[in-house]
Amino acid sequence: MNSPAALAAESAGVRPTRTPAFEQRLARRYRAERNFRLMGLSAVVLSVAVLVFLLGNMFINGLAGFQRAEMPVTINFAEAGVEGDAISLTAPSALQTLEMGGLPDVVAFYAEDQLGETAAAQLSPDAWRDVAAALMADPALITGTRTFQLAASSDLASGLGGEGPPEMQALAKQLASEGKLAKNWDWGFMSRSDATSPQAVGIWGALKGSILTMIITLVLAFPVGVLSALYLEEYAPKNRWTDVIEVSINNLAAVPSIIFGLLGLAVFLTVFPNMRSAPLIGGMTLALMTMPVIVISGRNAIKAVPPSIRDGALAVGASPVQVVFHHVLPLALPGMLTGTIIGMARALGETAPLLMIGMRAFVATPPEGFTSPATVLPVQIFLWSDEINRGFVERTSAAIIVLLAFLLLMNGLAIYLRNKFEKNW
Amino acid sequence: MTVIHPNMDDASAKIRARDVCVFYGDKQAIDHVSIDISPDYVTAFIGPSGCGKSTFLRCFNRMNDTIGTARVTGRIELEGENILSDAMDVVQLRARVGMVFQKPNPFPKSIYENIAYGPKIHGLADKKPDLDIIVERSLMRAGLWDEVKDRLEDSGTALSGGQQQRLCIARAIAVDPEVILMDEPASALDPIATAKIEELIDELSGRYAIVIVTHSMQQAARVSQRTAFFHLGKMVEYGPTSEIFTNPIEERTKDYITGRYG
Repeated sequence: MNSPAALAAESAGVRPTRTPAFEQRLARRYRAERNFRLMGLSAVVLSVAVLVFLLGNMFINGLAGFQRAEMPVTINFAEAGVEGDAISLTAPSALQTLEMGGLPDVVAFYAEDQLGETAAAQLSPDAWRDVAAALMADPALITGTRTFQLAASSDLASGLGGEGPPEMQALAKQLASEGKLAKNWDWGFMSRSDATSPQAVGIWGALKGSILTMIITLVLAFPVGVLSALYLEEYAPKNRWTDVIEVSINNLAAVPSIIFGLLGLAVFLTVFPNMRSAPLIGGMTLALMTMPVIVISGRNAIKAVPPSIRDGALAVGASPVQVVFHHVLPLALPGMLTGTIIGMARALGETAPLLMIGMRAFVATPPEGFTSPATVLPVQIFLWSDEINRGFVERTSAAIIVLLAFLLLMNGLAIYLRNKFEKNW
Repeated sequence: MTVIHPNMDDASAKIRARDVCVFYGDKQAIDHVSIDISPDYVTAFIGPSGCGKSTFLRCFNRMNDTIGTARVTGRIELEGENILSDAMDVVQLRARVGMVFQKPNPFPKSIYENIAYGPKIHGLADKKPDLDIIVERSLMRAGLWDEVKDRLEDSGTALSGGQQQRLCIARAIAVDPEVILMDEPASALDPIATAKIEELIDELSGRYAIVIVTHSMQQAARVSQRTAFFHLGKMVEYGPTSEIFTNPIEERTKDYITGRYG
């Protein structure tokens, strides 16, 4: 207010807020605010656009991944003389029995008969397995007739998509026009496991592996994380040791995930040498990674519980344990759950540490339990994206959609639980 | 030195404090305070902000234990038992000496649960009918029953500020304590809610020994029969409320009462 103009205005009896200079400054302030809002809005628009592009691209590619080129083949089992009964077809060795009994040849015979020689040659080499699966699911079929949609070879499939060698494209076009080749919705994708041909792969093995691994992670990391957070906040004395522990936990949360994989490799696989690739080891490794996140978010949630609630409970004579379990924990639980889900979501998408403990193996059957070899969704995506065969591109996108859907489901559950437990004070 | 008025005909003391000092780290908050609290009267602690009256009050149910740096020396007897000794069970002490805080702090649970919580954890009532009786009686005594009897399952935090504070008083009396400590119970409330709380204190006195900290001298004059004036961590003067307000002995008390400082 020392400028000559201001002084002159003041001496003339004009208030400092009524001068033209003030109005100019006011306009400048409004302009600054407008610009800032515009910048923020464009940032939001940009990130939404990128997200929409990414998801849209993934979705369009992925939808094709949920389909596969199939050829209809009708098989009369009674006429073909495939041997088997209710007992042998439900035995664990049924697949081998059927293979030895010549089921692949029977399938090939009927295919040649109905589709022609060139087309039958382009049947996926694993096609008979679908027939075997149907027989094992329904042994009564052995005396009947059924039409199967059998997978075409990956060459023919890419021919149908307008790619690959010209003669294959021509064959695909011809078969399609005769109604002998079509892209069908592939329900089996959700129930099969990894395979060498993109026509025969499925996501169930990796999905089940992910679910089993997540269960182990949750069961180990949640109680340990919550109890650590409670102890550190409610009971631990505030001294140098607890400071060291706090710094260590914060640092642990920032350690690159591959280091945890090395730890799992060096420690867990030394203790359990026969469990390479097992969800148990994967879950333990990811639990190490998730626990610090749960501890940190849990401590923040406990800190946010108003001290007045604690005082109120203490004043009616609640013991410290009762204060914690009747009042602090219920109020802190929503925040703890949020942190847990964030940690779990990170663990679900983690690839590097699991590569270290051998979960990148080719596993063609879904894991039977926590100790059988398995792979997980992100590793499966990584493996498929590395395949040369064109058909795997779409399958990779489909796997990504499954992973994102799983993630969305977990986050939805977290939001539901948080709203359910959230209380006002 | 503390001035104790001679004409206090208190036959017995519920709480007898002797040479109580409280330290927060190196800082001394209470300096050798000795006082007898009568079971029959409402005792008010008055004094300017930061004089230590709340700190002293929190010694009576050992709420200072929750502050890591706080240290209490001296002797406080509740019916002859030293509550500052390690042998004293804090949980039991707090069941015998209830407390109401400055800011209403109902639990984020139903009104019913707020009252039933104390009796439940102390095992005073196991069956629902017994609890129902305790809840009704406590709310009745706190003058809240008629307002909430139809919505006992509503959250305690949904009540108005004055109702919340009466709920907290009901919560304190649900375990039938011998003493109720009130730390500026009406300072966050409007005048009408304040009047209700003061009325309630009046009704509860006699059944419970009540100690109230207040920075409103009018409130002390209205609700209490005994008043102690605190200044800079020392108890300056203690006597019948009427005498403290009309005929204080100490110059500092007189200055504070007349609004010279504070």
